[in-house]
Amino acid sequence: MKVQQKKQFSSFEKHSQKIFFFGSILVSFGILFVTVGGSWDITNHLLNKPETFFSLPHALMYSGVAITLIGVAISFIGYRNLHHFKNIFSLPLRIKFLGIALLTGAGPFDFVWHSNFGLDGLLSPPHFTLIIGMLFCSIGGMIGISRFLKLKSSKNFLLPYLLILGVLPVWLAGSGVISSLTLPFSNTDYFQFNPDETFAFVVATIAFPFLISFSALMASKISNFKPGIVTILGGLFLLIYGMTAIGPNFSMLESAEFYALNLIPFVISDLILSFGKSKRSSLLAGGILGSVFYMVYYPYVMYTYNEVLLGKLVSPSMIFHTYFEIMPQVIQFTIIPAIIMGIIAVYVANRFSKKISMY
Amino acid sequence: MMGIVIIALSFYFTLTVFILPEKYIAKEQLVPSPYLEIELSSVEITLGESFRISSISENKGDYGDIHIVSAAFPTEQNIENIVQIASYDFSNSPQFIEPGEEIGAKYSGGLEIVSAQYPSIEAMNRPVHPGTKYVMDLQITPDEIGEFIVYMKSIDIPHSSSVSHFPQSGQLDHQGEYVLVYTVNVNP
Repeated sequence: MKVQQKKQFSSFEKHSQKIFFFGSILVSFGILFVTVGGSWDITNHLLNKPETFFSLPHALMYSGVAITLIGVAISFIGYRNLHHFKNIFSLPLRIKFLGIALLTGAGPFDFVWHSNFGLDGLLSPPHFTLIIGMLFCSIGGMIGISRFLKLKSSKNFLLPYLLILGVLPVWLAGSGVISSLTLPFSNTDYFQFNPDETFAFVVATIAFPFLISFSALMASKISNFKPGIVTILGGLFLLIYGMTAIGPNFSMLESAEFYALNLIPFVISDLILSFGKSKRSSLLAGGILGSVFYMVYYPYVMYTYNEVLLGKLVSPSMIFHTYFEIMPQVIQFTIIPAIIMGIIAVYVANRFSKKISMY
Repeated sequence: MMGIVIIALSFYFTLTVFILPEKYIAKEQLVPSPYLEIELSSVEITLGESFRISSISENKGDYGDIHIVSAAFPTEQNIENIVQIASYDFSNSPQFIEPGEEIGAKYSGGLEIVSAQYPSIEAMNRPVHPGTKYVMDLQITPDEIGEFIVYMKSIDIPHSSSVSHFPQSGQLDHQGEYVLVYTVNVNP
């Protein structure tokens, strides 16, 4: 009888872990929706200057918030029924709670802001609340997914690839934070929230290379250098950015071939990481990934550097020309710090992945 | 292994930093070009009557980001009970500009600013594809006898040369931009 009870208990525990894992997947998936909607929304504002809160990108963003909310609720149900592994899943759950509180609060806050001050820019109190909420939720989702996979140590070859779904939203949400602090899209009739141009220049040069390298190295490290992880992760990032920032802009369609080439550094880094599996190979991959940030963040990163280098008024159809016009100067100023930040990100990703794996 | 990495990186940087940018920069920038057709219902009216000024604008050039048609009223200071929009098919809502407001000047897209001396209505479409036409129809009921003047113009952005505005010569308005002038005599 006791053996029977033990078996039932063990199966219930596993079932609860799976529920928590499913909740984490939903959280990451929801944030993916929010970030895709967010990137599309920036393009929509640049191209069409929408005059209402109710737009397709906003609909995508807020349906992502709803999916995330459901994901957090499911994670909580799974967590409540855990007995032995509560300590493993308590950190991701707490981060998710913090994130979802900010996310759900940002919706009505944004609506009230729009009603009182018209359409806001990229950086505004409700938008920043939303972006920080996205970042917390995505980190919670990523830790939840990583810890479940680590605990399970499954022999299923495909399961570690689910990590991509955990890391990609963190990368996209992190990009959202950096973009809002660096792009000059935040001045409105009521508020002048555009960042100082020198501050924006420095932050973009430091933070974007760091984030690319950190995201790729995290995914590779947690998956124990699984081949293909960095390529798929980078490919999906490029696909999302390409579809939301380049695709809708008729005048930039031709540059899709340029943007597609950015898959090469991810493939190279993937090969280096999965065959090398050493500290030296990680540093090399980090440096490579950091060095290509200006190309990976095409086209909007141009606006940050244009403020300092040209100060030109750039309408959407001129993005393309201006981006390539300042490219030699930007690369000359940023290549060294970008490589250094890519390498620093390797150390941070190492420490972070160890923290995630230890409970 | 290192050999493959070096070759692949050289290929990547050569294409993305040297070859493709040169190709893209050599390509001519898109030049949208507006055209404006105006129809005035009457040039003589009596006080209390209305007249219509209808504009059909078109982009006769390349794809553009913004297409603007502006109607300004230099003989007025307030058009609230005088001008009504009878029909309008631009993507963005019309902007009512009042005297004293800061507005862009000399086709600078906002880099040069002046203070508006008289009211105007700005219609905007974003983006603007080649060959597309837009209508703005105004019904005007002057409240004073004398000459009632309307300035009409159209600008496309990016504004690269005189091709990007219409008309390309004639009278200048308070923004230092060329306008078509229409006068209606309001009789007692």
